[in-house]
Amino acid sequence: MQVTVKLFASLRYRWFEEETRQFPDGSTLLEVVDRIGIPKKELGITLINGSHASLQDVVLDGDVVALMPHIGGG
Amino acid sequence: MSEESSTFAPSTVSYRRCTVNLEQGTVSFQSLPCANLEDVLGGFGRSFQVLEQRTVKNAYSPENPLIVNTGLLTGTAVMTGLRTYFSAYSPLKRSDAGMPGAMWAAGSGNFGNKLKWAGLDELIFEDRSSTPVLAVIREGASGPVVELEPADHLLGLTGHEKIMALHRQYPDAHFAVIGPAGENYQNVYMGAVVMSTDNELKSGEPKSRFAGRGGMGSVMGYKNLIAIVAQSRDKMPPVTSAMRDVNRGVITNGGSARFQPVSQGGGGGTWANIEVLQAFHAVPVNNFRPKGNDDVERLFRDKVEMEFDVFAEACFRCGIRCHNNVFNRTAWGGRGRLQAKYDFEPLILFGSNLGVHQPAQVSELIHLCDLLGMDAISLGTTLAYVLDYNERHPEAPLFNGATFGAFEAIKALIQETGRGGNEGIGRGVKRLSQQLGETSYAMHVKGLELPAYLPDTNPGYIFAIAGGHMSMGTHMLLAKEGVTTVEGWAKAITTTGLLQVGYDMIGLCKFVGAGMGHELVSQAIAEATGLKVPPEDIVAAVRRAYLRGLALELRQGFGEDEYTLPSQVMNDPNPNMTLPAFITRAFIEELKERVWSVFKPEIDELRGAWRDESSEA
Ligand code: SF4
Repeated sequence: MQVTVKLFASLRYRWFEEETRQFPDGSTLLEVVDRIGIPKKELGITLINGSHASLQDVVLDGDVVALMPHIGGG
Repeated sequence: MSEESSTFAPSTVSYRRCTVNLEQGTVSFQSLPCANLEDVLGGFGRSFQVLEQRTVKNAYSPENPLIVNTGLLTGTAVMTGLRTYFSAYSPLKRSDAGMPGAMWAAGSGNFGNKLKWAGLDELIFEDRSSTPVLAVIREGASGPVVELEPADHLLGLTGHEKIMALHRQYPDAHFAVIGPAGENYQNVYMGAVVMSTDNELKSGEPKSRFAGRGGMGSVMGYKNLIAIVAQSRDKMPPVTSAMRDVNRGVITNGGSARFQPVSQGGGGGTWANIEVLQAFHAVPVNNFRPKGNDDVERLFRDKVEMEFDVFAEACFRCGIRCHNNVFNRTAWGGRGRLQAKYDFEPLILFGSNLGVHQPAQVSELIHLCDLLGMDAISLGTTLAYVLDYNERHPEAPLFNGATFGAFEAIKALIQETGRGGNEGIGRGVKRLSQQLGETSYAMHVKGLELPAYLPDTNPGYIFAIAGGHMSMGTHMLLAKEGVTTVEGWAKAITTTGLLQVGYDMIGLCKFVGAGMGHELVSQAIAEATGLKVPPEDIVAAVRRAYLRGLALELRQGFGEDEYTLPSQVMNDPNPNMTLPAFITRAFIEELKERVWSVFKPEIDELRGAWRDESSEA
């Protein structure tokens, strides 16, 4: 299946900004992240098609996945 | 959890206080036993117990003390243990009943270390001096010595210029000073305390840190206290191997990584927030109204780096290195003059939220605010209101008629405000909007201007006791987790959110990234002080301190109607933000009911204990 992955902030600087890649059908978000090679601990916010998603959620053909680093302030 | 489970009685720990009566010029010292764990941890946990005992109806009155203190870990070898706290009744935070709210502001730099190394944990400035003075604290043969000296020679200088002038006079000291804004306290309620850093003293560049919130610099100005000098030898304790482990934990625990430099594999500080929030069109633009376009992207890190040299720097011995200092590039590509520091708050509040998107212009505005010694959040948010008002009323605009993006006109307003020439802006957005009768888009809660996180995303602001994001850690909850239910928000506010204030007790920076219940905080305390305080006791003490702050708000007349958000959030939700617009009036009412149903009974129960403690003291 084809999934578009968008990366933000420090993830974008270190991997890529946006790519559409093939992933095995039924992949979870965690498997997508693993295949790209981003360590899980670097992830702060994960979205599938603009909605908050967990790493256990299954990604479908045509989905857009957004991965963002931890953010904080104060 | 009760204090009994700590392996020591708080009364066995004492702290050293110096009280300076500015009117009489007298100085007295006391060694005081701690009444509770809040006293031991320090910061606002201790200072609010003093404020609670005072009746203060006007922030600019002799009855209002200015309390300068440190946290338990300030001046220790624990990384980020540099904080100093300034507490008083605030000229800015004011209830509709007309009473000032109790506030504190925190800042890093090396001043707190020096204060502690000179032998003091707390300084209380009472009354006011009739002439401008500076207070010099130094180590004497038999303990700390505090003296008042004339400060006329410092008047009119910027905060940084004052610091450098004092550095020439006291080469081994660090400084907490006010800028022109604090000197003009009658018309500027948002004066910050400007604090020196090692880097600043060595380089001569304006790399100060700020205790900005609530106008503590203006309170200093009212007292005619222009500067505080803390002079001592460096007494950083030796770093034991256990302390090395603690500090390694600070660097490697996931929490601080986001604030470390990108070149170090970190997130690059709070600057990264812009990019993440922009993905949801949730970055404040033109007075907290994102337009759904990409204007903000010109302030992304990689865009700024095309024009400037960005260099990560740090406070004294801090490996987190969260400061993103932006320098001009010289003609041959080297590092030139310091332009400004880029943190999320000033970048947005002097950038996109004023409709200014050119990095060089944003830097100039940030720099100007810093030099004049104003709180970037209060000034930026008040200016945004003025520009918004002027766009709505082109026929009768305010002041010089500045509108969004009008860089030169905005700069002129900052200059004028910082020098005391614009009381409309200098007294903050609550007063200005009430005078004008247009309050719906005035971005404040309880008189304190909102930081650069949209109120549309954070009903937790309602229960912040000393600034929207400094004292309630819920400002990212919607973007991070997508929480939109009353239950979810009530739980966040009453459990984890309020613990944000704990950093402002123990002396560590929030960017340490370990929460109050984290084992690392207990380990740090044990290693630095020998005191065994289990994480659950720290959490309980922080909770009590927060509730004391909330109880003080109620006592100062903050009414039920003031626990709310700017009405634009409910009446006119922004269609451009892609996060859910979930805050309605009904939502807020239900949320308040739930949160108060947790907090009010706890406050009632604690009141008895507080009464006993104060009668013993
Ligand atoms: S985390 Fe940043 S602000 Fe805090 S002490 Fe370290 S360098 Fe200073």
